[in-house]
Amino acid sequence: MRAGYVFSEVATGLRRNITMTIAMIITTAISLGLLGGGLLVARMTSHAEQLYGDRVQVDVFLTTEVSKNDPNCRNACLTLLDEMKANPDIEAVEYHSQEDAYQQYLEQYRGQPAMTEIVDKDTLPAFLRVRLKDPAKLAIVAEQYGRSPGVQQVTDQREVINRVFDVFTAVRNITLAIAVIQAIAALLLISNMVQIAAFTRRTETSIMRLVGASRWRTQLPFMIEAIVAGVVGSILAVLGLWAAKAWFIDKKLSGLFNSGVLPQITFGDFVFVTPILLGAGVLLAALSAYVTLRAYVRT
Amino acid sequence: MIHLSHVSKSYKTSTRPALEDVTVDVGKGEFAFLIGPSGSGKSTFLRLLLREEAPDRGDMTVAGSDLTKIRRSKVPVHRRRIGCVFQDFRLLSNKTVSQNVGFALEVLGRNRNVVRRVVPEVLELVGLEGKANRLPHELSGGEQQRVAIARAFVNRPLLLLADEPTGNLDPDTSADIMLLLERINRTGTTVLMATHDNAIVDSMRRRVIELQLGKVVRDEDRGVYGVGR
Ligand SMILES: Nc1ncnc2c1ncn2[C@@H]1O[C@H](COP(=O)(O)OP(=O)(O)OP(=O)(O)O)[C@@H](O)[C@H]1O
Ligand SMILES: [Mg+2]
Repeated sequence: MRAGYVFSEVATGLRRNITMTIAMIITTAISLGLLGGGLLVARMTSHAEQLYGDRVQVDVFLTTEVSKNDPNCRNACLTLLDEMKANPDIEAVEYHSQEDAYQQYLEQYRGQPAMTEIVDKDTLPAFLRVRLKDPAKLAIVAEQYGRSPGVQQVTDQREVINRVFDVFTAVRNITLAIAVIQAIAALLLISNMVQIAAFTRRTETSIMRLVGASRWRTQLPFMIEAIVAGVVGSILAVLGLWAAKAWFIDKKLSGLFNSGVLPQITFGDFVFVTPILLGAGVLLAALSAYVTLRAYVRT
Repeated sequence: MIHLSHVSKSYKTSTRPALEDVTVDVGKGEFAFLIGPSGSGKSTFLRLLLREEAPDRGDMTVAGSDLTKIRRSKVPVHRRRIGCVFQDFRLLSNKTVSQNVGFALEVLGRNRNVVRRVVPEVLELVGLEGKANRLPHELSGGEQQRVAIARAFVNRPLLLLADEPTGNLDPDTSADIMLLLERINRTGTTVLMATHDNAIVDSMRRRVIELQLGKVVRDEDRGVYGVGR
């Protein structure tokens, strides 16, 4: 059996069934596009985790008294500072006085009088900015100094970050859930396409069987038809994701990307996602075609 | 070549068995007619030989395959040793004459060179040289049947089954087809042909196996169609 011969059968089959083929390609593309979207969000999350992991820091805010009475960190504050410097889990500590905090605040809200007017020099506490060696130790360190004398509160930036990650995770889960539902639709459409194809060509198939073609040989063209449609669908999905990135994501989120708050979706991410989508497309098509041919098509 | 002993076959939807206790032996190189009125079981007989249907009871060996034990996956291999021709030709309508004939070789995995060489040879044998690139609907009935015979014969089968091959043809064309089948028989291929056509049976004077209501009622070496009626 020659490959060219089978492929000419496949081409005829796809053309004869063109509306069905298009429907199937679109459904597959949407399903795989969503799957790819979910995967990209997941990757973005893990990139972001690395990004933030490197910069994990804890701000240990001092009480009002200490802030006020020890502006140059000589007494109670110094005890705390030395203790932290001796701590093996801590990479670096930096003292920010009440004055520093106020200046930083003014800097942050420059040009927003509503914000700057509500604070004065004494409103904000002094704090120690602590950078950790191992981000995993964060909770322990926060706990440890939260109860030390002169400390008012320990804030963990992780909380904010975690909230961002929760949003990412939710987006990813919703995308993947819709992808699964679409995949089921794609599966049924592929199955339907294969059934129709097998039915319209039943005479042909029975003649093939008569001259001794194996079941495998008579059904192979139907399998390949489905797989071709699956591959085209996954290619469209990749192109669609790329277009969405170029024309939508990169434009709308450029601020976040440029300021380094969010990691950008890279070409490398697409290199990672493309083979997965292709594989999923082929698998989806081959599997449903195979099952359909075994279960419904008697030859 | 064909060995049936006490073979019976009933279709699920019918009350009367299509074949009942049939015992027949056809040797290598024989030419035999299978005759009988409509519904007597001729087509069923041929379908059993091709393993399109399985027998309910009895033993049968055809072209070296023990059809009582054959596995499903071995059925295609069995069919490749048998050529078959039908009243309605059963050609692939979107393939040309040579593609139709070549298909039987493709299925066997023969390579392109073999196909290119063998197909024209067989087309010449059946008298269709020059029509290799036509589609089936561009041929007369007799020509279409020749294509079918070429396809059945291209693998040099041990056995050729023909189910009313002249049923759709006029007497002259039928006579040509019979000459062709005789020629194929002379190459050593066993031929079994089911037919209604008494003129053909009477003129050939070959072995005649007659079925009635699924039973063999006559098996004569040099028979005619009408005896006993
Ligand atoms: N697929 C089937 N399902 C049920 N009954 C069938 C089937 N095929 C044939 N029969 C029955 O089996 C019997 C034998 O049919 P068969 O086709 O073998 O006869 P035949 O001798 O070839 O007739 P004809 O000369 O008209 O072609 C008939 O009674 C027919 O109705
Ligand atoms: Mg019949």
